[in-house]
Amino acid sequence: MTAFVQQMVLGLLIGGLYGLAAAGLSLVFGVLKVLNVAHGQLIMLGGYGAFWLGALAGFDPFAALTLVIPGALAFGAVLYWTLFAWVVRASEETRVKNSLLIGFGLALALDALAVRLWTADERSITTSYAGAVVSVGGIAIPLVRLASLVLAGALIGGVHLLLLRTRWGRAIRATAEDWEAALLTGIDVRRAYLLAFAIGTALAGAAGTLVSVGYSVSPSIGLEWTLKALVVVVLAGLGSMPGTFVGGLVLGLAEAAAAWGFGGPYREMVGLVLFFVVLVARPQGLFAR
Amino acid sequence: MLEVEGLEASYGSFRVLSGVTLEVRPGEIVALLGPNGAGKTTLIRCIAGLLRPRAGAMRWEGWPLGQAEAHTVVERGVAVVPEGRRLFGSMSVEENLALGAFAPRARRGEASRLEGVYAIFPVLRERRRQLVRALSGGQQQMVAIGRALMADPRLLVLDEPSLGLAPRLVESIFGLLREINRGGVSILLVEQNVHAALALAHRGYILEAGRVAAEGQGSVLLNDAHVRRAYLGPLAR
Amino acid sequence: MTRPRGLALGVVVVAALAAVPRVARTDAELNFLFLVLLSTTLAQSWNIVAGYAGQVNLGHAAFFGLGALTTRTLWIGGTPVLLAMGAGALVATAFALLIGVVAFRLRGAYFAIGTLALGEILRITVGNLLAEISTLPAATIASYRLADRYYLALALAVATLGVVGALGRSRAGLGMQAIREDEAAAEASGVNALGLKLLALASSTALAGLAGGLFAYYHISYYPSHPFGAHWTFDALLITFVGGVGTFHGPVLGAIFYVVLKEYLAVRWVDFHLLIFGALFIGIVLLLPGGLVEAAARLRALAGRRAP
Repeated sequence: MTAFVQQMVLGLLIGGLYGLAAAGLSLVFGVLKVLNVAHGQLIMLGGYGAFWLGALAGFDPFAALTLVIPGALAFGAVLYWTLFAWVVRASEETRVKNSLLIGFGLALALDALAVRLWTADERSITTSYAGAVVSVGGIAIPLVRLASLVLAGALIGGVHLLLLRTRWGRAIRATAEDWEAALLTGIDVRRAYLLAFAIGTALAGAAGTLVSVGYSVSPSIGLEWTLKALVVVVLAGLGSMPGTFVGGLVLGLAEAAAAWGFGGPYREMVGLVLFFVVLVARPQGLFAR
Repeated sequence: MLEVEGLEASYGSFRVLSGVTLEVRPGEIVALLGPNGAGKTTLIRCIAGLLRPRAGAMRWEGWPLGQAEAHTVVERGVAVVPEGRRLFGSMSVEENLALGAFAPRARRGEASRLEGVYAIFPVLRERRRQLVRALSGGQQQMVAIGRALMADPRLLVLDEPSLGLAPRLVESIFGLLREINRGGVSILLVEQNVHAALALAHRGYILEAGRVAAEGQGSVLLNDAHVRRAYLGPLAR
Repeated sequence: MTRPRGLALGVVVVAALAAVPRVARTDAELNFLFLVLLSTTLAQSWNIVAGYAGQVNLGHAAFFGLGALTTRTLWIGGTPVLLAMGAGALVATAFALLIGVVAFRLRGAYFAIGTLALGEILRITVGNLLAEISTLPAATIASYRLADRYYLALALAVATLGVVGALGRSRAGLGMQAIREDEAAAEASGVNALGLKLLALASSTALAGLAGGLFAYYHISYYPSHPFGAHWTFDALLITFVGGVGTFHGPVLGAIFYVVLKEYLAVRWVDFHLLIFGALFIGIVLLLPGGLVEAAARLRALAGRRAP
């Protein structure tokens, strides 16, 4: 029994990162109607950013977040201007298709670049407190992963408040719902797109940092994390940051249960099967209300 | 002053406007009438900056509208209440109204303008935290007009505000429009309810098949034989 | 180029390719050409459902893998390789039709990510059930003739091109392209959208299954889940798009370009060809959707205009 609970707890811990990874994708998809399938690569870059800040400048990974997040914001802005600003000129249906293709090309290029720059080796950040564990009733909770879960929740909560309370947050929500009406209200929709994309990238970068300290990062994690994020987005639906976080936790728990029930290798299948089933159950896509 | 000259617009290869000329002089209420498919909404979309015209010119207070981004048109003092209202259903009344004042020019005096809107529509103050999609059609129309007013417009454009509303509500909304106009706001009103629109308006234009088929003073058009036969039906008084 | 001239050129090229095993001095040339032929087949088969019918299938590798798995199992068990390959194609097609009915409920991008998920599910399953490397028995290795594989690859590539060529001109093919442009409009004018999409999928996966069988016949040892890997789909996608999606020559041009780049650059920077192709891909989606085929056509037009 304890072993089962232990597995579920671990599943919950990584579920928080799934939620954070999905939050950025969900924001961009919901606001720009653009499916950036290079999202996983943005996570990968965040992970490498934290790794090198640690290796070269001695940054503690959690402290490195203060650099990775602004860096990712800026990178997101650049990506939007150079690439996705063109994609959003098309109609909604074409946008999704084009973003899929462009995201694919981008993912390929970023993967190849990462392999060239940093080799295919797995990297992980080890800190002095890496082995620390909190023991609750016989269950061992790795401190680093627990901190990551809390941070993931805090970041998502922060973005949620941003969207709810600030002027531009409202503008972003309005744009997501009806961009023409948003224009009629005086909102510069392209600026809203830019902000949403940058924030989405920042969330991805943060997720990457937490992945590199709690787990590991390598050039091949891109596709893996894009799929995880996609699964959560499809399960949780669009339009709610907290909902996406919960969706991530659910996926983490479902994976743990599957691994417990069917064995480790089937962990990955649960999400994908659920994903396909939900997709087919809603063939009209994710935007229908 | 809004000037439209020889405006042509299409959706793809489908020509909708074939040379429309009209104007809204300062302080006027102008009605834009005509059958479905005549191009009224298309014209509004061009003015609002949502559709680029193929040919012709549009000017607002001397400033060219043709290539402007829609949100900058709002910044210039033109607010549009679109057909079907296009409110943000997942957001509250207050949030929708607040968004109306998004443009920089509208932020000055935002708080007092919000009070003003609540004064005009007391029921919105009561329901200000409710989600807009939970409101009735009439209340939503109030939010739509309120949202446009929050932009502190000098020209208010309304596309079929009476659609789906009970007659008494239509009356009060039209009365409201008269009040707003007296406050110095020009109004361009697209309407199906020809009688009420022409009774309210100083001048009117009839749009048919993408062209202006008739124009004149509200009262004159109201008594015009062709207009009566085509749009007011056998029960017209 | 007119059809008779094109066909004549094609015959010449095929004859030349058929002569290579007799002329080549080392195995390197045969292996290189084999790769080009296999890539052409895989890309061209993908082109049927994604280029002509407009359904971007990101699970293509699943059918490649199923063909490989079936062929390998039967062939090692004693079945003649051609029969085994045929069985592989059948299995792939059967599976495709089964899930196709469900998957085609999805449209556009959702179909793409849905099929990607399916492909991955299959890969993981096979990887878990058959984790051991598959190696040919010693006797088979001893009697391994590269030329046999090469001729089979050539035959398969020619057959695939033949299928696509015929399809492009047939009523079914025109129907598929109509679906690609506007499915609702096509249906309204009497096209059986689901039927044609399934036909496209069936022919596409049958050919992919045969290609998989070829893979199984060619490689001495590999992990059974390897041919199910998503990168086979992505390669086909890249090749087809860069070459010219929905065209006859696109996948051919793309495959040549791709393999040349890959082999040539593999020395210094292992995945460099992917970086280039990724960037090219973005450029093509944004600027030149017709790919290399369109570029060639434009150059020819330009040259034609310049001539006095």
